[in-house]
Formats: sequence, C-alpha cells, structure tokens
Amino acid sequence: MSSEAAWVPVALSASIEPGTSAGAVVEGAELVVWRDAKGVAHVWEDRCPHRGMRMSFGFVRGDHIACLYHGWSYDTAGQCRHIPAHPDLDVPKTIKIATYAVEEAGGVIWTRLATAAQAADPLPTMGTNLPVRSLYADCSAAHALAILKQTQLPVGKDETYPARLQVVTPHAWTLEAGALSLSIAVQVIGPQKIGLHILADEGSVDLIAALARWAQALRLALEAPVTVAEVA
Amino acid sequence: MSEITLYNHDLDENCYRVRLMLSFLGIAHEIVAIDMVPGHEEKGPAMRALNPLGSLPILKDGDLVLYGTQAILAHLSRAHNAAGVWLPLEPATFSRVMQWTFFSATALACAIEARRVAVFGTAGDLEALTREARQALRIMDDHMVLRHIEGFEWFAADTPTIADLSLLPSFALSRDYGIDHDEFPALRRWLRRFRILPGFRTMPGIPDYH
Ligand code: FES
Repeated sequence: MSSEAAWVPVALSASIEPGTSAGAVVEGAELVVWRDAKGVAHVWEDRCPHRGMRMSFGFVRGDHIACLYHGWSYDTAGQCRHIPAHPDLDVPKTIKIATYAVEEAGGVIWTRLATAAQAADPLPTMGTNLPVRSLYADCSAAHALAILKQTQLPVGKDETYPARLQVVTPHAWTLEAGALSLSIAVQVIGPQKIGLHILADEGSVDLIAALARWAQALRLALEAPVTVAEVA
Repeated sequence: MSEITLYNHDLDENCYRVRLMLSFLGIAHEIVAIDMVPGHEEKGPAMRALNPLGSLPILKDGDLVLYGTQAILAHLSRAHNAAGVWLPLEPATFSRVMQWTFFSATALACAIEARRVAVFGTAGDLEALTREARQALRIMDDHMVLRHIEGFEWFAADTPTIADLSLLPSFALSRDYGIDHDEFPALRRWLRRFRILPGFRTMPGIPDYH
C-alpha cells in the first residue's frame, strides 16, 4: 500500500494527447486522466456528480471536459459550468468533481491521491524520457520486481545483457544494461493488476522497437503460472 | 431502386462494419431492416434463401448476393472504388490486410459473441468470452505499439484499409461487453484517428461527441 502523499503514475505523457481523456485505476480508485487543448494534464475522480457516469467516457472541448450522458461540462478546476438541459442556469458551486495534484516529469503523468494539506513526497527522478510503451499485466508489483531482477535487456541487434534493477521509490524503478537505461513507472491497479509505464534514455532511440518486444515477452513471464519450486 | 441493398439490423456490429464501408465510399444504397432482435427474422426461410447461414449482414449488388462480413467489405472496396484504396493489391500489403481482416473474423469472433451475450442476452459464457476477447485486443494493442514506433498509424498499410475497418468495431464497442479502454493506449490512439476519417459514422454504443 502506498502512502497517500506518494506520487503515482497514471499514464505515459505521450498516451494522453491534447483534447483527449482516458480512465486509469490506482489501487481500486477510478480516475480520469485528460489533457486540455492547451496541453495541461488533469487527474480527477472518474465520476460525474449528476448520475455517476464515468468522466473518462466523456469528451474534451477546449479547456472543459463534458460528460457523455447529459453533457454537463466542467472547467479545469472540476467546477461544473454548463448544464445543457438548463442553459441559463447559474450552476451551483457545489457541483464539482474532486481533483488531484498532477505533475508531468520524464514523460510520465504523476498524481497524488492526497488532500493539499498533506506534505508531498518529492517527485521521483528517473533520468529517461523516451516512451517505450505502457504494459498492463495481471500480477502483483512484488512479483514483477522479482521477475525483473533476473531480466535480460536487448542492447543491440540480437544481443541481450543482464540488467541491474534499482528501486528508486515503490513507484519508480530503473533497469540498466550496458549503455541502456530504462525506467519503469509502476501503477498499482489492484492486488493482482499493474501497469508498467516504460521509458528509455534518449541515446537508445534505435532500441525502442526491441524494447517494446522485450516488454511484450515480459508480460508472458509476469503472467506465467508460478511453479511450486519458485514459491518454496 | 438502387443497385445495392443491405439487409441490416442497426445494433448488429457486423452490419455496422458494412454501413461504415458504404459510408466511407459514398455508395448509394437501400437498407432493408431485419427484425433480428427479438424476431430472429434472419433465420427464417425468406432470409435463408439469401444466406443459408441465417446471419446478417447480407448485401445484394445487382444479381450478386453476398454474405460474410469480410467478403462484403472486400467486394465493396474493389467493385465500387476504382482506386481500391481500402484493399490495396501490392502483394506484401495485400497479405497483411488479409491477415488482420481474417483476425477480425477468427480471433475476434469471441468479442462479437461476448457483445451478443451482453447486449442481446444470447446464451453464452460471458466471462470466458470476455477473457478471450481481452487476449485478442492485447495482440492488437501490441501490434499497434510497434506500428507506431515504426511511424505508422494503421494496421496493415500507411493508409486505412478493410483490416482497420473490420477490427475497429470490436474495440470501439468493447465497453458493451465489459472491457474498458484503459489498458489499450495504442488502440485508443488508433480509434481516435479512425473516428476523424471523412465518412465515419457511429452506432449505438459508440459515443457521438455532441
Ligand atoms: S451523468 Fe454526467 S451529465 Fe448526467
């Protein structure tokens, strides 16, 4: 369980294009991640106050996000500004969606599921910003850590090298092999479900496709049934 | 009476695939509404005379009667578009288009079935079908991750083809059968690009952003 003051990743920056939204779950909490037309990312509770529709199903118009059901539209502070069924209504200030702190760093959108009063941990620095991919797998973060301790990374054509794993924070891991540095921003979705947002250092641009294939194979390893010998 | 007739049900996703193709190519056509739910009209003798499988969609083009969604898409894209942009014939591209078009009829059959169980209450094991559908969507997402890295936005060519068209509804409608879009960033990107193609139209279950 992460502390509420911790920064947790919800997406690769590149995956949330301006004017779009997506859902993300962090330890069971449903969130909407959206980016306004000016390029600013927002993370909110994924629930419309009207009838509870998920805001991630909605659509972004400029610096507002509108709910898919009845079109209620919210500004960047989460405040409802427009109700199509009552266009002349001065919308009450109480119709508001809970918003969370957002920082973008190193190609990742981070959020903090805490109230402003709680002191924030520093943002993890990983020193990479070339997106490889987000990989979703049905396993625990602890299991992923155990598997990644023994992984081999592609470092050239048909060449792999044993990687050194470092845990920067519970949500930020790095892997190094030769000149290659990889970072993994770890999103814990549930007890047996994680999202790994993977980035490489800028010098490794030619390895991105090989790293994406490595990640695909990693998911097989992460989801392979654990043998008795391994448990013992 | 126009040359082309589509035997259609508005909530059927395979009919939607054909409606999309007709719309992209701007082909004038007539629609005959078939009472698939709850009437099972497509399984009655009159419709079985056109398609012995008793399924929709069916397309009549002059004297030609075609069933099988992917066959109809192939027919429309070659017979009614001189340039054949939706089904390019350059050999390597054609083969890739075929691979992914068949994927929509084979690996994604469980997704189509899952939606029928969820939306129409057809008998079936929704949980098992959904699990299988998720695996197929993962394969598609993995593919599009690599395509994007290679600088392409479409499944099989540098432009959209019937491969994209036949795969897309299973993802666009996945919430109907309980699979969210959260885990498929590369497919979200692809869907957004597909939605803005001239001629795109929605169906119930695919949000129309008003
Ligand atoms: S549920 Fe969001 S506007 Fe009605």
